[in-house]
Amino acid sequence: MSMATPLKTAGKLDLRSGSLPKPAPERTAVALTLLTIFAVSLISLWQSGISITSMIGSADNAQRFLARVGTVSFPPAAELIELTLFTLGLVLTGTLLAAALSVPVAYIAAANTTPGGAWQALGRFMTVITRAIPDVVFAMVFILVFSIGALPGILAIGLHSIGMISKLFADAIEQIDEGPRLAIRASGGTKAQEFFGGILPQVLPSWIATVLHRNDINLRGSVILGYVGVMGLGLEMSYAFKSLNYSLGVGIAIVMFVLCVAMELISGAVRKVLLGQGTSKARTGKKTAIAMTVNSKRPWTADRVRNLVWGWGAVAIALGGVWVSNINWSDLVTVWPKLPAIMAQFFPPNFGSYDFATMAMAMGKTLSIALAAMVLALGVSIIIGSFAARNVAPTPGIRTGSRFGLVIIRGVPEVILAILLIVVTGLGSQAGIIALAFGGIGLLGKLIADSVEEVNPGPQKALIATGASRLQTYFSATLPQSARAMVGHTFYLLDTNIRAATILGIVGGGGIGYYLLNAGQGSNYPLVTSIVIMILLTVLAVEGLAMWVRKVLR
Amino acid sequence: MNTQYAVKTSNLTKIYGDKKALAGVDLEVMPGEMVVLLGLSGSGKSTFLRHIDALERPTGGEVQVLGTDLSKLSGRGLRQLRSKVGFVFQQFELVPSLTALENVLTGALSTLRGPRLGLAMYPRRLRLKALETLERVGLLEWAYERADTLSGGQQQRVAIARALMQEPEILLADEPVASLDPESSIVVMDLMKEIAAERNLTVLCSLHQVDLALSWADRIVGLRHGSVVLDTPTAGLSRESVMEIYGQLAPVPEAAISDLENELKKAADARNQSLAASGAAS
Repeated sequence: MSMATPLKTAGKLDLRSGSLPKPAPERTAVALTLLTIFAVSLISLWQSGISITSMIGSADNAQRFLARVGTVSFPPAAELIELTLFTLGLVLTGTLLAAALSVPVAYIAAANTTPGGAWQALGRFMTVITRAIPDVVFAMVFILVFSIGALPGILAIGLHSIGMISKLFADAIEQIDEGPRLAIRASGGTKAQEFFGGILPQVLPSWIATVLHRNDINLRGSVILGYVGVMGLGLEMSYAFKSLNYSLGVGIAIVMFVLCVAMELISGAVRKVLLGQGTSKARTGKKTAIAMTVNSKRPWTADRVRNLVWGWGAVAIALGGVWVSNINWSDLVTVWPKLPAIMAQFFPPNFGSYDFATMAMAMGKTLSIALAAMVLALGVSIIIGSFAARNVAPTPGIRTGSRFGLVIIRGVPEVILAILLIVVTGLGSQAGIIALAFGGIGLLGKLIADSVEEVNPGPQKALIATGASRLQTYFSATLPQSARAMVGHTFYLLDTNIRAATILGIVGGGGIGYYLLNAGQGSNYPLVTSIVIMILLTVLAVEGLAMWVRKVLR
Repeated sequence: MNTQYAVKTSNLTKIYGDKKALAGVDLEVMPGEMVVLLGLSGSGKSTFLRHIDALERPTGGEVQVLGTDLSKLSGRGLRQLRSKVGFVFQQFELVPSLTALENVLTGALSTLRGPRLGLAMYPRRLRLKALETLERVGLLEWAYERADTLSGGQQQRVAIARALMQEPEILLADEPVASLDPESSIVVMDLMKEIAAERNLTVLCSLHQVDLALSWADRIVGLRHGSVVLDTPTAGLSRESVMEIYGQLAPVPEAAISDLENELKKAADARNQSLAASGAAS
């Protein structure tokens, strides 16, 4: 016993001196790592040259730009409707494809359902790899394969989204109550019966919420797919900006804005209905229950009607999405013989006419944009996020206001904001950092608010009871309980930012994305492969770091 | 102002929605008295205790603590009064990721200005006092262990140490041993009694174990449906007489249960009959 906890034999005199014991070496290492990341982020932010004066200076640019745009114009109504429906259909079909593919991936990746260690490793690998490869890269490949049509976009969204969806699906599976599943197994059920009877009913609400969430993200991302040639609103917008038809470009951007905000509101409402169901539903009345026992028939309650309408409505929307995407199904059959030749163009990877140093610099630039945006978002998010938490906000009004502000911020698609800022202010990476930070506040602020609300309220109550002030209670009880979650969320934001910063390069924000776009358009595919590997390694390094930090901080 | 009582409530009423949690409680507690609130869950014990520390605001009636009417307090004045009233919770309510020592130190926050993050931000004087307090509850060796690595009994002793850091005049304890095993319960209850005697604290403690209450308190107050149904000194009181009253505190809604059982049985019979009838027909 004395070996396990040496402190207990350290003697009372040592303790009494009031000096602090040395923390464990691994925790020190984590603290130093976090401090280093924070310092590098601050340096990145400082080096980017974001300042009030440059903002004011860019206002002149913006004025000149706006004078050039004159009035905002839109495509003809019929074309606009067609483009909008096509974009929505493509995004929805892609997301549903990803959802379908994610089910088996999540099943083998989840600790409690995986058939074995090797399967689990395979599942995790697929999750990580699909998430790390940007959807634009998938799109570049599939445009080579299918040339034109909806399929490149659908497959790019479908494959890239597997990463996030299967990760969250697997998390949901790991959180289920094992009881029902065990009961089915005990009564002699098969594995499939265990899944459909014991697991699916428990995870379905969370799965649907995940898919809706991803659908929002994919709609925002669809703009970028247009820049590499995927049909839809994004392609029209990139054409408009390239041909210097700014009034049309801005017009399409506004349409995308409205679409994204509308989609966010709709999916938010649907999620609320889905997740709130359990609490709002009234119990079956005694009379109805007795009638059920006697007749063995399920009565047509309001709940049942509503579920039926929602269910078939969802199926109709999904089929509609596939229909408007106008998929050329025969492509899926004829493409296979061509595939090896196309894939061969991507190997072996090389740096083309550039050297490694140039590419490493570009990757570093992307990383520094991601870090600068992260630190900018973090500062604001902790404040807004805490005020948006029920247990911290001084009044319910402040909480509602902060939550509402976060929803509005989240509704703004950051990449479109970045495109607009880059075009309007002509500032390049600075505009990119501001746009990413803005989007980051929407994401991180909400995550922080949720994890602050999830802390055990007991210690806060206990400190209020000692006579501590609100601020003291926040720092001594609320923050220590949510700190680990905040660190995790911030790493998640960094991870998201690295992908987003890559994409910013494609629209003129500098960094590795610029070279990626050039390599793709110049048919320099071995360079594309090299760049993808660099992005992959960076993302994996951040992910590994995050896992280590979370493990140590426990 | 009447400063004779440590705690005095008059017609204290609390209504949540359509449920009356406290139905006009009048109670006077003298300084140094050890009072046990006895009753089942839902009888209003916790709600009553939370009103003494102004963690809840009454729907009606008045609460006076140490001669001050709580309804007149807010902000700094309220925090100052709360610092004189220690509160020990059933679930300990320690911050799990902080060390025992830092949890104890948070009890002194009301004497400091501004937030504290980390041990090093507390003055050395308070750190030494916190160590002494931990020694008093027998946990000095555990000072630098994380709260969530301690056993339940140890956590409750840390929570008591946190309350002592406030240098309270009144100690409130809400089912302090309901989450503990019998041995730890005795340790914790004995410790509270010793400390209360040493520091001449007024103690209000809610319990549901009659034996523990009898051996521990100067006075027992029984609550039922938010009203006082028993208020007696423990001296010369037998277990039987308390159990008799306690039985009255706990009515079993048997009528409701048998009602439902009957109806379900009827329904099952009807179904069996119709099944039998269809079986005979085929």
